[in-house]
This record gives sequence, C-alpha cells and structure tokens, in this order.
Amino acid sequence: MPPCSAQCGKNAILKRPKTGDTLCKECFFEAFENEIHFTITRAKLFKPGSKVAIAASGGKDSTVLAYVMKLLNEKYDYKLDLVLLSIDEGITGYRDDSLDTVKQNRDDYGMPLKIMSYKDLYGWTMDEIVAEIGRKNNCTFCGVFRRQALDRGAALLNVDYLATGHNADDIAETVLMNILRGDLARLSRCTSIITDSGDGIPRVKPLKYTYEKEIVMYAYFRKLVYFSTECVFAPNAYRGHARVLLKDLEKIDPAVIMNIIQSGESLKINENANMPTLQKCTRCGYVSSQDVCKACE
Amino acid sequence: MCSIGDDNFEELDNLKYMPAKEKPSPFSKCNKCKEEIPIVVLRSKDKYCRKCFLAGATHKFKATLGKHKLIRPNDRVLVIHKCGHPSTALLHFIRSGLDLETHKKLRFEPVVLFIEEFTHLTVTDRSEILKAIEKEVACFNFQVYLTSLAKLITTNSVETELHANFDRLEMDEDDKNVITKFVDQQLNETNKNDFLNITRQKLIVKIAKHLNCKFIFTPEISNDVASQLLTDISLGRGSTVSLNAGFCDSRDETVKILRPLRLFDLKELAFYNHLNSLEPVTYRKRDENPYKSVQQLMKKFVNELQVNYPATVTTILKTGDKLSLGTKPTNKCDFCNAPLEEEGPELTSAESTQFSHWVSTQTPAERRLAPERAFNNPTCDNYCFGCRKFRK
Ligand SMILES: [Zn+2]
Ligand SMILES: [Zn+2]
Repeated sequence: MPPCSAQCGKNAILKRPKTGDTLCKECFFEAFENEIHFTITRAKLFKPGSKVAIAASGGKDSTVLAYVMKLLNEKYDYKLDLVLLSIDEGITGYRDDSLDTVKQNRDDYGMPLKIMSYKDLYGWTMDEIVAEIGRKNNCTFCGVFRRQALDRGAALLNVDYLATGHNADDIAETVLMNILRGDLARLSRCTSIITDSGDGIPRVKPLKYTYEKEIVMYAYFRKLVYFSTECVFAPNAYRGHARVLLKDLEKIDPAVIMNIIQSGESLKINENANMPTLQKCTRCGYVSSQDVCKACE
Repeated sequence: MCSIGDDNFEELDNLKYMPAKEKPSPFSKCNKCKEEIPIVVLRSKDKYCRKCFLAGATHKFKATLGKHKLIRPNDRVLVIHKCGHPSTALLHFIRSGLDLETHKKLRFEPVVLFIEEFTHLTVTDRSEILKAIEKEVACFNFQVYLTSLAKLITTNSVETELHANFDRLEMDEDDKNVITKFVDQQLNETNKNDFLNITRQKLIVKIAKHLNCKFIFTPEISNDVASQLLTDISLGRGSTVSLNAGFCDSRDETVKILRPLRLFDLKELAFYNHLNSLEPVTYRKRDENPYKSVQQLMKKFVNELQVNYPATVTTILKTGDKLSLGTKPTNKCDFCNAPLEEEGPELTSAESTQFSHWVSTQTPAERRLAPERAFNNPTCDNYCFGCRKFRK
C-alpha cells in the first residue's frame, strides 16, 4: 500500500472509493467522521438542543450512524438528545436476531431504545402476513407499515427529527429506480437530505454522501457489532434491476455513485409534467398518494 | 437499512412490477385495419399488415418532426449517416417525404454527412464501406460529404476535409493512434468516450455551420436515447439530460440537433427497410467489453430491457421528455457548451466530494488547526460538473 494521503508518515491501509485517496486507519477515521460532521453542519440538519431518534435496524448503516452521531454530538457539542427507534416487523431469522444487535448498541452507546412492533401497532407480524397472502408484494406492505411505524414511534417519543441510515449507494439506487419506473415525483424528491413525512417530523439522512463500502470499512476497523443478514424478502423488480446496475457501474468507476446523486440533485422536471400531489389518508390521516392508504385498505 | 417505501408515497401495485413482454393476441388480423393478415409483430404484441405498418412508420416519422414545427421550407438539414438500419431508413423516410405530391410534402433541403472512424478495420475494408455509402446516398439522390474523424481532429478547418467521392478521402493505418492520442491518457475508458462523444457533437455542429445547415438529423433510435439518458445521469450530467436525450439539442444558438428516429426501435426500422427492399451497408462491429465503460454497460442494460421489458425502455424515454433545462441560465460550459447551472446555497454531491478529497489530504497538524471551516468549496470556472474532469 502507498503512503497515507494525509502525509502522516504511516502507510495507507485502504483506498477510498469516493475520492481515490489512500489513507491509514487513523486518518480514515478522521476523514470519515469529519465528512459526516461537515454534512450535518453544512446542510444544517439539526437545531441545537433538539431530540433526535435514530432509526436503528441493527444493520451496518444504522449502527455506524448511531456510533458516529454519538461521537460527533460529544466532540462538537451539538447538544442533541439521541434515542434509538427500532421496528419489529416480526420476520423470524431476520428481525429477531437484528434486534439483539440493536439492544447491544443501546447498552454500548448508552442511548434509550424504543421498539415499535407490527404486532402491537397492527395486530399481526410480517410472518403472519406472508402466511396469509404469500410472498408476493411483501416489500410493498412491509415498507408502508415500517414508514408508518417509524412515524408513530417518532411521535410517541416526541422527537424533533428522525435520522435514517440511508447511504450514498441507497440514494443513487433510488434515483436509477425512479427513472426506470418513470416516477418523476419521487425522482425529484429522492435526493433531498431532509424530507417531511407530512406530520411535522422531518427525516434526515446524515449518511447521504457516505459510500456503503466505506461504512463497511469503518465498522470493520472500529470493530462495531452489526447484523449483516439481508432481509429474507426480495425487493421489487425495479429496485432489483437498479441495484444490479449500480453494482456494475461502481465496478467500472466508483465516482458514478456521487455523479448519480449530483444528477438527481440538479434534475429539473418540466413544469407542465403532471405530478401526483401529497394528500392524507381519509382513515388514518397519514400521508398517502390515494384516498385510503395501503395500510388501511 | 431497508429504504423501501420510505419516501412518503407507498409503492403502488402498478409501479411495482416491471411489465414484462406481452404475448401477441391470438386475433389473427391486423391490429389497425382489422382486415388484412398481419406480417409483423411490434413490441411483441402489436400485429400489423404490410400497408398499416408502413403507413404507421411514416406517420410516426412525420409526426415527430411536425410536432415541434422547427424546420421551415428550404432550410438546409445535415443528415448524419452512421451506417446501419436506422440511417438507411432515415434516408428513405426523407426521400419519400420530399417526393410526395400532397400538402404533407417535406420541404427542407437535406445534405448527408458520413464521418469515417472504422479504425478497427483495414484501410481496404474501410475504403469499401465508404464506396458503398457513397453509392447508397446517391441512390436516394442526395448530396453526400465524406470525411474522417482522424482528419477532422488533426486539422483546424473542416472545409478541406469534406469530400464528395470516397476515393478523395485519405485513410491511414495510423488513424487509430491519431484518435487515441487526441484524448488525455489519464482519463478512464468512460471519460475518454465522453470526451470523444462531445468532440463529435462539436464537429458536426461546426460542419453544419460551414454547410449553411440550421438543423442536424441524427439516426439515434429509442435504445440509443435511453442508454444515453442513463449514461448522462451516471456522469453527473443530470441538469442537461434533456439536450442529449430529448428530441432537440438546442445548446448551439444557430444549429439545432434533432433526433427524428428517437421513438423507433431497431426491429421496426429493419422491417421498414426489408419491406422497402433496402439493404444497409454492413461492416464488422468493434469488439466491446460491456464492463469496461459506463457507455457500453448502459447499451447492454437497455438492450436487455428491450428484449424482456420493452415498456421500461419507453418509460425511460418518457422520463427524458419530462426533464427540462429549468430557468434559462446565462453562462455556458467552455467544453460541451451546455448551459451552466447556477450554484445554489444547498450542499451538493459535488461539494461533498470536494470536501472528502480535501479532508483526506489534510495533514494531522492541519486538521487540528483548522477544522472544516478552513474548507472552501473551490468555485469552478466555466466548466459544467460533467466536464470538470477534462480541465487541465
Ligand atoms: Zn494517515
Ligand atoms: Zn460541459
């Protein structure tokens, strides 16, 4: 390995996919954390003194997010009150194990944890739903319910923000997916770093510009405990195609990920193209694109 | 983190499944006239008889041109010939449009341009291809200009490099090296392609001006446009997608590039040529590795979609139609000539990448002294985001 790009005198242990710079372990930690700090301050993600729920799944993204948020909060004195919020969808072999990881995070980072379960909220688990309706449409259902469960959890905890672990790869993948399915409304919105889900609790993405590969390296070198099993349900066809395409693109040139986000941020939708408008579900009052949302249907 | 369903809109059923290829209906009559026996199946479901198919193709060509009402009678149009079914069909569409006796007659003056760059073939083979193209264009009774990319990039004036006869064009075994050396060797394969593509566009605009043409027709079909759109997105050219993937590229004030075949697919045009007894000039294609550049990967990706999910290619094109340049920006990129975006107050991907590189090259002492406040987002000169990599 070449010497560290930061000229610290040590040898590099990794090459950053985002910039091509080579860094030693210590300088990588610094760069990685500084970048997230830069994103948080430059994009003014949190008002000082607010309460922030971190959507914790036990996976690498939310584990790293919780760790770095705690570290930066102390180092730069953001004065944030951080809590963990988890959703128990009731998927055996996936969520039950990953929740143990979240509980470990709670103890390690000394943050309160709130778990919202589908069973408590809706009266059934994803396992039961699958037994009932089969494997078709799983992600669609699950996604709708998780979003609502997170919103309800955030409201219950009385937080000002909900921080999610979406990384740069997730955002780039979503841009491609929305182009494939011609969804202009989402295309123009999916790169926003702050979104409002309609109930006044903004969702923020502090890892928006962080590469998945670097998150994995950071977790590895920091020896963070996370749960690495993928969800047992397959994503929809558009996302599946977008995911494979993005992986192939990244192999050709890792800069493509930031390029796609840059494109998504600068795309302009024709004013006369008709866009679906936001409305609320007439039964539960949550944001929906139809009169009655998927969950109430 | 699972991010599905995370952006306020639930995933509607009709958005969830990519529509796969549909089966042709068992109905054995033409979809259009409902009388004749169909001879062609398009998009794997629509069946047409000979007459309805040809009428439909001609109508689509004219409707694409007519809808935009850009061309006036007697305007000169530079038609780019790229060798293959689309180019041959394009020449035929134009010739039959000009020869009409009705009020629907086309009224512009076409001139055909062929830029030779088959540097993977022998000089003899290349010469044969040029001869065949000269002959093909002559059959349609159009004026043709033949030239080569290697010559165009080594000379400053286009006028000495445009020839009406194939044997006037000098070709050299060294042409391949000339083109290779023209591009910065530090660039990766994707960016080399990007550089050459922009160079080609600039050259045809220059030639159009020299030949007094206000318009350029290029033979790109739906797959080309869809893969171009995805390529542009992947190269960070999102703000100018509508120029490369829309019907009209209007970045030059005097010459507009139009894509009259952008709603056709290859099968349709191959059939059109077949029914009109037209044989395009053929040549041995370059061997290309789809995993070597973004452009090649996107071609492969879109061609596979076309086979299994033809509706998705159409969707990508429609997405392109709904994107625009936004408010009229005043400055243009020094390299590609596309309008430059105004920099807003928001954090962008570009700034984040600049910061990442900056923070990765700060020494430990500098880091301690100057936290992120010392970082100044370098304001860029007159280069668009996609062209910054070409800045010396
Ligand atoms: Zn170092
Ligand atoms: Zn440019």
